[in-house]
Amino acid sequence: MEQQNEKIILSIDTSCDETSVAVVSGKRVLSHVEYSQILMHEKWGGVVPSIAKRAHEERIDFVVDKAVKNSKSKIQNIDAFAVTYGPGLAIALEVGIRKAKELSKTYNKPIVAVNHMEGHLYSPFVQNSKGNPKRKLIFPYIGLLVSGGHTELIVFKDDLSYEILGETRDDAAGEALDKAARILGFGYPGGPILEHLAKEVGNTDTYHFPKPMLRSGNFEFSFSGLKTSFLYKVRAMSENEKNNNLGHLASSFQEAVFQTLIKKTMKAMKQTGIKHILVGGGVAVNNRLRHLMRKTVREAEGSVLFPSYKYLNFDNAAMIGFVGAIRAKRNLFVENPEELDRKPRVSLLQSTIK
Amino acid sequence: MTRLIKLVTQNIDAVLKDTARILRGGGLVVFPSDTVYGLLTDATKREAVQKLIQFKNRAPGKAISIFIQDLSHAADHVKIHTKQRPMLASLLPGPFTVVLPSKHTVDPLLESEKGTLGIRIPNFLPILKLVQIFDAPITATSANLGGKHPYYSVSSLMSQLPKSKKDLIDLIVDAGKLPRNKPSTVIDLSESKVRILRKGDIVVEKRNKYLSHSPVETRKIGCYLIDKILKQKQNKPIIIILKGDLGSGKTEMTRGIAEYFGITNIISPTFVVYYEYKIKAHNFDTFIHADLYSIDDDEEFEQLGLEDFLKTGNVMVVEWGERLGRILQSFQKKAGIVFVEIKYDGEKKRQIYVSN
Repeated sequence: MEQQNEKIILSIDTSCDETSVAVVSGKRVLSHVEYSQILMHEKWGGVVPSIAKRAHEERIDFVVDKAVKNSKSKIQNIDAFAVTYGPGLAIALEVGIRKAKELSKTYNKPIVAVNHMEGHLYSPFVQNSKGNPKRKLIFPYIGLLVSGGHTELIVFKDDLSYEILGETRDDAAGEALDKAARILGFGYPGGPILEHLAKEVGNTDTYHFPKPMLRSGNFEFSFSGLKTSFLYKVRAMSENEKNNNLGHLASSFQEAVFQTLIKKTMKAMKQTGIKHILVGGGVAVNNRLRHLMRKTVREAEGSVLFPSYKYLNFDNAAMIGFVGAIRAKRNLFVENPEELDRKPRVSLLQSTIK
Repeated sequence: MTRLIKLVTQNIDAVLKDTARILRGGGLVVFPSDTVYGLLTDATKREAVQKLIQFKNRAPGKAISIFIQDLSHAADHVKIHTKQRPMLASLLPGPFTVVLPSKHTVDPLLESEKGTLGIRIPNFLPILKLVQIFDAPITATSANLGGKHPYYSVSSLMSQLPKSKKDLIDLIVDAGKLPRNKPSTVIDLSESKVRILRKGDIVVEKRNKYLSHSPVETRKIGCYLIDKILKQKQNKPIIIILKGDLGSGKTEMTRGIAEYFGITNIISPTFVVYYEYKIKAHNFDTFIHADLYSIDDDEEFEQLGLEDFLKTGNVMVVEWGERLGRILQSFQKKAGIVFVEIKYDGEKKRQIYVSN
C-alpha cells in the first residue's frame, strides 16, 4: 500500500511539443493529461516552436484543470508544483514556468524545478494509478537517454545524483532517425516510419553504414557523419533504385544507430561494473532497440528497464511529478519562484545533488 | 649561438624589439605565425636572404614571400590593378599568400623567375606589430628545410635540424605549440586567371567563393569568415544566414564560427529550433544558433522571439535562414547580415559562397 508520507505533486512539462500536466503521489500517477500536438506538427515536418508556444498557452489552463479533476483530488491538497525548467525549447518552457509561478502564488505552495532529463531517467519506475509496476530503485544504474533532442549515457548513482559519461557531439539519435526518414522522402516523426520499414525486411543490415564513434574510446556519440554517408548512399541511387530498397536503407540506418547505442552502453557496463540499465526517451519506444538491448544486456548478465507505459517514453509530466516528489521530500524547493528562469541547455550535472 | 626566448602576452613588446634588432643585423629568426613557425629575415638585405636560402636548401628561382603590415603597404612592393583591390581586401589579412608582379623593392632572390612576389598579411598580431616596428618587409617562409613538412612547435623543429642548420639561426621565439593550421593558401593574381599554387586550410576560388574538402576545412572557413565579418560590421548585431542541403556542413560551419568565440559545445539545434550560448570574450554577449528547417510561415517567425536577440554584441547563425522571408527585411535594418551558401559538389567537396 501507499506510504503515508508520499508527496502530492502537480507537475507541468512544456519542454517541447506536449502540453502535459500530471498529479502524482510519489511515483504513482493519479492523473496525467496531455494535449498531444503531434497531429498539428505532421503538417510542418517537425516541432514548430511558435505553434507549440501558442498551443501551450492556449491549452495549459485547460490541461491543468483537467489533470486536477481526473486525479479526484483537490488542488488545495497538493504539496507542491513541479515544473520542467530545461532542457528544451526556450519559448515553450516559459509557458510551463509561468503557469507554475501563477499556481504557486495563487495557492501559496512551493515550486520544485525539475530537469527534464531527470524525468526520463526515473521514467521506468513511474507507476499507474493502481501502483504498477512495482519496481524498486536499486542504485546504481547506467542510464541511456535517447530522444529527438538528446543522446546521453549517465551513471545514475543515487537519488538525484548523476554523472554524465558521454553525450552527443552533434545530432541526437532520434534526430538522426528523423533526418534519415526525411532523406528517404518521409515526414515527421521519422523514427516509427523507419522502424516499420526495417521490420518488413527483417531488420537486416545490408549496407553496413559506418557505426559512429565505436572506436573513439569514450562515451560520446556522433550521428552527423552517419547521416552524411546515408545521404551519399541515397544520392547515388536512382529514384527507382531507392524506392525498391527503402526497407533495406531504413533498416541498415536504424541498425547503425542502435548498434552504436548498444555497444556504448555495454562499454559503460564494463567500465563501471554496473549491470543494471535504464533506457528512456522517445527512441526507447522502438521495439527493435528494446529487443536488441534486452538480448545484449541479458548476455552480459545484466538487466534493463524501459518505461512501462508508452507515454512515459515521450515527454510527459508524470515523470516530472515523480522527480518533483523526491525533491519536495528533501525540501529542494525553488527559493525565489519569481526568479525561476528557463534553461534550454541545462545539463543533468547542474541538477545533481552532491 | 642561437638564443631562445619564450613569447608570452606580458613580454611581447620586449620580444618584438629584440627580434627587430636581430633582423636589423641581418639575423635569422624562428618566429610563430597564424599558421606554422616561420623563418624571418630582412627581405631587403642580400646577405640575410642568402643565409635564409642556405638554411632552406631552396632551389634558386623558387620564390619566398614577404610579410607586410597592411594593405596600404602592399602597393609599395607589388603592382596592384584597381580591379584586384576588392579581392585583395577580401583575402588580407588572412591565411593567404597573394602573388603579384614585384616592384623590386626586396632582394631579387625572393622573386620568382617571372618577376612576381608573394605578399602575406597574417591575422597574427605579433608579426603585424613586428613588421610595423621593423618598418620594412620581412621574409615569410616556413621554418623547415626545403621539401620537408612545417613545424608547429619549436621542440619538434629543433629535434629535426642538423647542427649546421641550427647554427644559422640567431634567435628562436617560442610561443609553444601552435594550433594545427596548414601553411597559407598561395593565390597567384599576376595573370588574368586566378590560380591556386598551394592549398592551405582555406581555399578561395574567386572573391567570396571558397572551397572546402572536409568538415575541418568548413570549420576553418567559418572561423575565418566571422573574423572578417566582425571587422566589416562593427557596432551592430551580426546575423549569418546559412543555406545548404541536409548534410552539406551547415552545423560544421556554425562550429567554426562558434570556435572563434571560444564556444566548443555546439550541437544540432534542430529539435529545439535554437540554442543560446554565452560568449565570454570582451564586447560580446550571446551566440545564437538557430535551425529553421521546420518553420516556413512568416507568422511563425514573428513568434519565435529571434528579434529580441538583435542587440550589439550578439551573433546569430541561422541554418535554413533563407526561409525567414519577410522578417528578413526588418532584421536587415537592425543587424549586419551575411549570407553563406554551401553547395554540395561531390562527396568530398563543397563550394561556399558568401554575399551581403
